[in-house]
Amino acid sequence: MTRWFEDITLDEAFPLGSHHFTEAEIIRFGQLYDPQYFHVDPEAAKASHFGGLVASGWHTVSVGHRRMVEALFAEEDRLRGLGKEPGVSGPSPGVNKMEFKAPVRPGDTVTYTLVVTGKRPSNSIPGWGLLFNTLEATNQNGELVYHAELVGFSKLRDYKMPLRLRLLLALTRIPVLGKVITKRTG
Amino acid sequence: MNPVTANRRHYEDLTIGEIIDLGATSVSKEMIVAFAREFDPFPFHLDEEAAKASLLGGLASSGWQTAALTLRMLGDRFLNGIASMGGLGFSDLKWKKPVMVGDTISGTATISGLRRSRHHPERGIVTIDLDMSNQSGEPVMTMRLANLIELRDPAAPLVEGENP
Repeated sequence: MTRWFEDITLDEAFPLGSHHFTEAEIIRFGQLYDPQYFHVDPEAAKASHFGGLVASGWHTVSVGHRRMVEALFAEEDRLRGLGKEPGVSGPSPGVNKMEFKAPVRPGDTVTYTLVVTGKRPSNSIPGWGLLFNTLEATNQNGELVYHAELVGFSKLRDYKMPLRLRLLLALTRIPVLGKVITKRTG
Repeated sequence: MNPVTANRRHYEDLTIGEIIDLGATSVSKEMIVAFAREFDPFPFHLDEEAAKASLLGGLASSGWQTAALTLRMLGDRFLNGIASMGGLGFSDLKWKKPVMVGDTISGTATISGLRRSRHHPERGIVTIDLDMSNQSGEPVMTMRLANLIELRDPAAPLVEGENP
C-alpha cells in the first residue's frame, strides 16, 4: 500500500487524523486488555494519582495504528486516482521506543502525526526495505500524549533479485533439498 | 493511603529477578479478525487469501493484538496485584514470528529493574521484561515495559544508587 520504498520522503509530516475517546470505549478496551481500576472503574479511578478514568496507553496506541493504516489506504486511493500504481506496506518487525507522556481522558480528542525519519533496504528480507517512523499523538490542548519510534516494512519497486538468490529460490522449490536450504538460510 | 491499592504489593515488596508465569492464551480466527477490524485493517490480518500472499504467510494476529493479549495476561497475573500507577511506556518491542490462527501464546514476565522516579521520588518504577512464545516454543514477541508503582512509604529517603 501507499508509496514505494523509493518514493518515501524523509522528515515530512503525514497527518493521520484525530480520534475522540468516549468513556464507554475506554472502559471496553480496558475490560478486554488492561483491566486496571483506573482504566475500567470511573469511581475507583478517583483514588488514583490520575484523579479519574484514563485510557490504557495501549488503547491510544492501537487507535494510532488504526489511523496510520487508514492514512495509508487514503494515500493508496490518491495515487490510483493519479493513475499511479501504489506501493506495498508489510508487517512491522517492532517498536524501538514508546513513551506515554500524558493521560487520555473521556472526551479528549487525540491527533496523530507520522514522520519517516530513516529508511534502508532490509538485510534479512530481499526486496523489502525498512522504514523508521516517529509517531506522535497530541491532545486538544496541544499536549504530547505519546511519542513512538516504530519500524515498518515497505516493498522496493526497483528490486532485482541477484542471480545467487534466484538460484537459491529455485533450489528451495525442490522437495527435501528445499527444506534443508530454508532451515539453513532461515 | 490509596484505599484501592492498600492491600496490594508495593514498590518495597518487589525484587529484581522475580519471574511471573503469565499462563496461556489461544488465538482464534474470530479474535484476529475482530481486533483487525477495529485497529489494524490490513488485508493480511482480515483475509486468508491476502494473508497467504503476504510476508506473514497466513492469517496472523496484529502485532498490537499479541501485545494487548500479553498485557491482559500481565494484568491478571501481576499488575492487578500490585499498587500500579500505570505504564510509562516500553522499549525494544520485537515481533519475532507471526501468531497464526489457532496458536497458543504463553510466557513470562521478569522484573529486571526497580528504581525510584527521578521527578517523583515518592513513586517507584518497575521494569518488566516480557518473553512470549507459541505452542512450539518459538519466541513470538519480547519487550521491556516500564510501569509506575506506589511506595508504601512515599517519604522514605532515597538510598544512594536507588535512583540511577
